[in-house]
Amino acid sequence: MAAPTFQDTIRALEGYWADYGCVLMQPYHTELAAGTMNPATFLRSLGPSEWKTAYVEPVIRPLDGRYGENPYRFQHYFQYQVVIKPAPADVLDLYFGSLEAIGIDLRRHDVRLVEDDWEQPTLGAWGLGWEVWCDGMEITQWTYFQQLGGFDVELVPAEITYGLERLCMFLQRKKSAFDLEWAPGVSWGDVYRENERQWSAYNFEVAPVDVLTRRFGEHEDECRALLERRLPLPAYDQVLKASHTFNLLDARGAISATERAAYIGRVRNLAREVAQVYLELETDALAPA
Amino acid sequence: MPSLLLEIGCEELPAGACREVGAQLPALVQRELGFAPDRLFVGPRRLGLVFEEVPEQTPDEWLKGPPLALRDKAAAGFAKKHGVGADDLVEREGFLGLERKGRPLREVLPERLDAIVRGLSFSKSMRWDDSGIRFARPVRWTLAKLDAETVVGETSFGHRFRGGPLEIPHAREYAERLREAEVEPDAEERRRAIVAGLDAIGGWSDPAGVLEEVVYLVESVAVLEGSFDERFLQLPERVVTTAMQSHQRYFPLGGNRFAFVANGGEPDVVRAGNENVLEGRLDDASFTFERDVKLGIDALAERLGAITYFKGAGSFADKSERLRRLVGELGGGEATLEAARLAKADQASELVREFTDLEGYIGGEYARLAGYPEAVSAAIEEQYLPDSSGGPLPQTEAGKVLAAADKLDALTTAFSVGQKPSGSRDPFGLRRAAIGLDRLAVEGGLVIPRSLLPDEVREFVEERLEGLLDVPVEYVRAARASAAPDLGAVAGVAKALHEARESAEFDGTYTAYERAHRLAGKAAEEAAADLDPALLKEDAERALAEGLAQVEVDGDVPAALASAATLAPLLERFFDEVLVLDEDPAVKANRLRLLLDVRDTLGRLGDFSQIPR
Repeated sequence: MAAPTFQDTIRALEGYWADYGCVLMQPYHTELAAGTMNPATFLRSLGPSEWKTAYVEPVIRPLDGRYGENPYRFQHYFQYQVVIKPAPADVLDLYFGSLEAIGIDLRRHDVRLVEDDWEQPTLGAWGLGWEVWCDGMEITQWTYFQQLGGFDVELVPAEITYGLERLCMFLQRKKSAFDLEWAPGVSWGDVYRENERQWSAYNFEVAPVDVLTRRFGEHEDECRALLERRLPLPAYDQVLKASHTFNLLDARGAISATERAAYIGRVRNLAREVAQVYLELETDALAPA
Repeated sequence: MPSLLLEIGCEELPAGACREVGAQLPALVQRELGFAPDRLFVGPRRLGLVFEEVPEQTPDEWLKGPPLALRDKAAAGFAKKHGVGADDLVEREGFLGLERKGRPLREVLPERLDAIVRGLSFSKSMRWDDSGIRFARPVRWTLAKLDAETVVGETSFGHRFRGGPLEIPHAREYAERLREAEVEPDAEERRRAIVAGLDAIGGWSDPAGVLEEVVYLVESVAVLEGSFDERFLQLPERVVTTAMQSHQRYFPLGGNRFAFVANGGEPDVVRAGNENVLEGRLDDASFTFERDVKLGIDALAERLGAITYFKGAGSFADKSERLRRLVGELGGGEATLEAARLAKADQASELVREFTDLEGYIGGEYARLAGYPEAVSAAIEEQYLPDSSGGPLPQTEAGKVLAAADKLDALTTAFSVGQKPSGSRDPFGLRRAAIGLDRLAVEGGLVIPRSLLPDEVREFVEERLEGLLDVPVEYVRAARASAAPDLGAVAGVAKALHEARESAEFDGTYTAYERAHRLAGKAAEEAAADLDPALLKEDAERALAEGLAQVEVDGDVPAALASAATLAPLLERFFDEVLVLDEDPAVKANRLRLLLDVRDTLGRLGDFSQIPR
């Protein structure tokens, strides 16, 4: 049996999780450093409402670019994100079922859960879980959220984040992500190598530091203004934009060590304020009239 | 009497959590059930307890409540807490309390097993549902069996992917049935199997100590061997072993071979996958290494201004400056000064950002690749030594000086921002640094002037000598009060005093010190500021003053003791013939001064009052 292409694997995951009852979402419309930051995960994981979703998320991490030269590091790659809230008791079996659905025979391979405590300081978030190894390859990060935006979660969600490149490198037995078959006859490198080169140049050499520094403050101000108007969803976009702006400044080497902690603290404060207003509105909506 | 099995089934527990459980379970079970398990099984997916024989009835209990005198105030509250009325309380030995009759074990097991689950505590715990239970990872099943009778739960479970629900027909058959289902529940047994498998392959090593974690990463042990492309052997060796161990928990076998432990799967398939992954890791490490090398150690050093050493302690560029100054004060030469300038450069490297363990080592490699003399490169490589108790010291002189400067700076800087270790809290490893500094002086023969250490740091560092030297602590304490100019000399004084403790010279010096101290020590404020030879009227006091002037205590200890001991007979004569507390206050003050001078001169050899006789 031929190994599934990159897009086959995405389709198989979409099918499996749609059949389970997840809402299939689409990638978010602004840069995210992780699928977790998508409001479909971050905000929906707060509060008392049940929620099941699955989606592909392009991940943008300016500092990790290597001009398309290193086949293991990219400033842009893909996660497949699943959130099930609350996590059912058989949630691990559900996940293992998804591996079978994409063609991994769990009896032939060595699949293991290796401790991984997840923490995202810019979002005031943490959880406990694992890296999932398949024959030594880390194919998934698995987390039971405990806190988001500094708030304890009410219903504990399971977050399943497949690293699509690594997963497909395993499935296709490739040593380089550039060599992955995206579609028949078209490689991952064909689609994205030039993208890596140009964006690495932008992230490391070109991105305008003064403009970005100004924008960071503007996103912060706009976020606060939106929160005053009780509009946490648009306000959250400003958190995401501030966070990405910080990452770009970091890649440009424009943030000193002492400033770094302060920047992270500023984003975290915004995330916490957004989470708070979001929760207040959610509670109001659920309250009996 | 029946046998009992308790099993707590979990999602995969971290190794650290398994160790925490192993340490707590026996006492916790004893407390909850009144008896201890005969066998304790700890693994990632299950905690099992087997009791060979248990009583069918729990013992009667006496729940002690408030004293009789407080009946009005406290009886109702106590009764309510235990779900009874105040009238149900009985008196015993001056207290009110509650008699709890023993109950059938089968009846209490569900609640006691639940209490055991809730009673375990973890350094990191989570919740996963609304049960209110916190555990290291979710608990998914519990099972309790009295002989063949299932009291709690339904079944156990076999290997995660090779077996489903597993009937345990009898409590005594627990381990046996699991083994048939390809699960080894006993951590010791898994460790033995892993080591046996590694030994059968031969030549294995475990520099980062992953074995203890691997024992808790599998329920079923398969030790496999793999290899990687030889071109990666061009990488510095520790880069290869670190990539293997820290990411993958593999065991280096030397050359391009490695061993690893799997939990299942077809060996050839699993091996091929792991080889593929390791080659990817090494390929990535090569890219990272080459980027660092291309940039070069000098350019890396220039980036240190942007990296914080720790909060309140400036950047690594500031630290490098301090190191250069300290290295100069420790007598380091050109090579050491150069090494100090480059010592922290690897903190700016991508490789160290990814593998902190490589700090120092990789800096040395980068210095070599940049063409720096071996003395410079070796010193950079050795700067963190010794990094464990009993670990090796730097081999080169420059390495010793740099290593001492690094530790001295770590201690001084941390103390200056209030980060002195307290209790078990020592986030900057300052105890290790202090012991390292002592060892560099004592074993490495490096001269570390005590004047370089701020008082508080000197106290901390010299306290560590007490545990390090093979000499009773009193001698070390005596030596710490001596005028020895450097750390090594303090140790030397302590050892020499201890060696000489039976000698006549030691005895003479000790006695002289003691007598002078006992008489004049408490009257120090009445003593003259300086000795006035014109006021010395008696022969005996003049003889003592002349003898004192000739005493030489700052040389090596045996000679100093011999010299100091000459004062003993002079002092004895002094006490026989001279009345210290003369009627003339000036004479009295002068004599007190003479005695204090004797004490202080001898005191340069050490504080003899610390040594019991």
